[in-house]
Amino acid sequence: MLRILHDTNYDFIRWWKVMAAITLAFILLGLGSLAVKPPNYSIEFTGGTLMQLQFVKPPDVGDIRATLDQAGVQGAEIQQFGTNRDFTVRAQNPATVAAQAGGATTISDRIGQVLTQKFGENSFRVVRTEGVGPRVGSELRRGAITAILLSFLITLIYLSIRFEWRFATAAVIATSHDVFTTIAFLKLMHLEISLTVVAGLLTVLGYSLNDTIIIFDRVRENLRKGRKETLYETLNRSINETLPRSILTHATAFAATLALLIFAGEVIRPFAWVMAFGIVTGTFSSIYVAAPVLLWIERKWPRKTGARQSSSTATPTSRTRRSPATATR
Amino acid sequence: MTLKWRLLCILGLIAASVWALFPRTVVERVKRNGEFVYDTVRRVPLKRGLDLQGGMHLALEVDESKAPVPDKSKAIDNALKVVRNRIDEFGVSEPVVQKAGSDRIIVELPGIDDPRRAQDVVQKSAFLEFQITDKTQALEKSLPRLDAVLKDKKIAVATTAGAAAKTDTAAGAGLQSLFSTDTSKKADSSKTDSAKAALGTTGGPGAFSKLVQQGQGMPGEYYVAQTDVPTMNQYLALPEVSAALPPGKVLRWSSDTVSLGNRVYRALYLVDAKPIITGEYITDAKPNTSPTEGNLVQFTMNNEGARRFRTETSRHIGDFMAIVLDQRVMGRPPVIQSSIGTNGQITMGGKDLQAAQDLALVLRAGSLPVPLKVVDVVQIGASLGQDSIHKATTAGVIAIALVIIIMLGYYRFSGALAVAGLALYILYTLAALAGFSAVLTLPGLAGFVLSIGIAVDANVLIFERIREELNHGKTVRTAIDEGFRHAMSAIVDSNVSTALTAAVLYQYGTGPVRGFAVTLLAGIAASMITSIFVVRTFYMLWLNRSRDAQTTLSI
Repeated sequence: MLRILHDTNYDFIRWWKVMAAITLAFILLGLGSLAVKPPNYSIEFTGGTLMQLQFVKPPDVGDIRATLDQAGVQGAEIQQFGTNRDFTVRAQNPATVAAQAGGATTISDRIGQVLTQKFGENSFRVVRTEGVGPRVGSELRRGAITAILLSFLITLIYLSIRFEWRFATAAVIATSHDVFTTIAFLKLMHLEISLTVVAGLLTVLGYSLNDTIIIFDRVRENLRKGRKETLYETLNRSINETLPRSILTHATAFAATLALLIFAGEVIRPFAWVMAFGIVTGTFSSIYVAAPVLLWIERKWPRKTGARQSSSTATPTSRTRRSPATATR
Repeated sequence: MTLKWRLLCILGLIAASVWALFPRTVVERVKRNGEFVYDTVRRVPLKRGLDLQGGMHLALEVDESKAPVPDKSKAIDNALKVVRNRIDEFGVSEPVVQKAGSDRIIVELPGIDDPRRAQDVVQKSAFLEFQITDKTQALEKSLPRLDAVLKDKKIAVATTAGAAAKTDTAAGAGLQSLFSTDTSKKADSSKTDSAKAALGTTGGPGAFSKLVQQGQGMPGEYYVAQTDVPTMNQYLALPEVSAALPPGKVLRWSSDTVSLGNRVYRALYLVDAKPIITGEYITDAKPNTSPTEGNLVQFTMNNEGARRFRTETSRHIGDFMAIVLDQRVMGRPPVIQSSIGTNGQITMGGKDLQAAQDLALVLRAGSLPVPLKVVDVVQIGASLGQDSIHKATTAGVIAIALVIIIMLGYYRFSGALAVAGLALYILYTLAALAGFSAVLTLPGLAGFVLSIGIAVDANVLIFERIREELNHGKTVRTAIDEGFRHAMSAIVDSNVSTALTAAVLYQYGTGPVRGFAVTLLAGIAASMITSIFVVRTFYMLWLNRSRDAQTTLSI
């Protein structure tokens, strides 16, 4: 049988201070850059107009920009979108958003009109138009934040029931860490924050949580075995034991992400980037955030029941109470 | 559960899935000879979202820019019914018309290739009024007052702001040109001439009277040069001006322009503010083409409407009746020759037959109780949707291939069982999506592709456990049993917490994100079934074949 990293005995947690420094630096870099310049929100969030145009002949971007400026659609962002015949026009500054108050198609109609004047009839096709009012945008932003916070809360409750509050808190802190690193990543990669990217972020959270739970499940099991070792050792042992699984699962998940990144087209690419980064940060946080935080919580609020890692005096009854899933099977 | 039952369960699930995914006949907008038409096609019953099949999404809110609406929620409820009727008549396969929150209407029209027309049909107020034109020369009598009002206003404005003064000079320029056309028009029509004389006698050309001149052979009709229409609208918007207008009368623009000589005019009608009847009694309306009047819409009223219409028109024989749609006079007001009953018609002027069709449609469906404005619009071309599906499918196929290579390469025989499980996973997930008529969106497809990579996680967990048990020297059969049992808590906990996150996404997400959450949920369920139940059965099948003779397991 083919084996990768089987029966390893690395002291992962020993490096936690170094890793904490690295990840903190990364987060601070990202947040610092956010403070300097706010992130790019998609028009779904800011309100505004987006048009995707496909030209018959590759046009001159300068021409498009000049035409739009003359027509009073100022500050519109023009981007190549795939081939050199496909472009997106994005008008999302406050002036254009305000101009949409009378109707969401105001700006897109004007853009279509002036570009037809400039390039002629049938010289391009409007593939996609999105016009979003400012109110819709702010509701979405609130919705996204609510979704993230609520998913944290529900996770916390579920894990408190299935494990206990120490594990639940450590898992949620590790997952929050991933929110920050992913936001930093988005900023540093100049990715636009769209609804799809938010969905990607939530997938990352789910994935990272998954990974943490797999390790914690092993910790829970090893604790129950009542070995004579510290929690520090148990954590290391659990991480090492789940290492082959981690490698394999991350490999297949990464393979699927790679396929999306390369083949699924422009619309999905930001999502795929978030996911690719998410696999990295999710794996990292399970080992270097969740485990040290759990250690810290244990030191601060030690267990009273005697099921504490060093004492190894866990009674059979207390074990079954803590693990209904195994007990009922 | 015995092996037989397990196999039956799996076969039953496969049968149900195949049935759920079996192509069936649906009405759909398809391209035939380069044109989009509605046709019946046989297709896998997976609902595609707007981003995959092209179409239009609209969010509408009450437009309060003209007048505040007291009870918005109720107004939206009423408007919702009208919009729904209209969309039904418009003929879109599987449209969505629903209320969102308390004050918004969401309209989704898949496969629409003429978004502008669709938006007009949804948004048109279609408030129809029949109003008698004024025959008392009330406007002429009011002209001195109107001019005086504007004069006062002008002085007041000129002393306060420079910008307003500019408007005045523009109006002054309009005066010049208006007079010059008046002289050239003398030859055209003696009536215009006398009208000008009539206007002239009212005390010299003031700002208001400069812009208007008598219409042609109809009381209450006036012409305003097309270039002066914006200025006139500015004047009419002034509260002082509306106060100075003849009481009980309102001014309405014509929907068409008239060319006289080399100038283009728009008619302005002074009509009784109280309509003799409104469009609420219309029961039917259909488009027609007449050789003399061009395109028109013929309508029928119900009994009550017909009775009222008959009474009112018999009182107004010899008068002219303006047919006013959304405050625009449609065509030239006809003279009432005798009392009119059930039927009537609206001429469309120069508009095409499609405009007549759309007007007939909105008249049938009823008028909107409040004006609506579009706050959010998404239009996606059908070709973009096709392209997205194509790309996502490519990515999916490649993702599957990569996952198969990894699993077979690492776990060999057991990997093959996992791959068979993966095939069922894909089948079950798609079937679940079809069964719950979930809408497949592009982010949903991406989530599905990603889930293929993550779905094998449960298999991996189990296989690694089995390896551990084998390492401990357990027999193949025991190792498999123990492996499945020990991996269970990790699989359940990780999947349930992901499912909870997906549920939150579903609750708080909109459109594409919702589709994504549904795909995720279906994927989690299918992944748990295949990894825990199906692959386990495969192992049992394999162990049973040679009655405990299996001493080694390829894993």
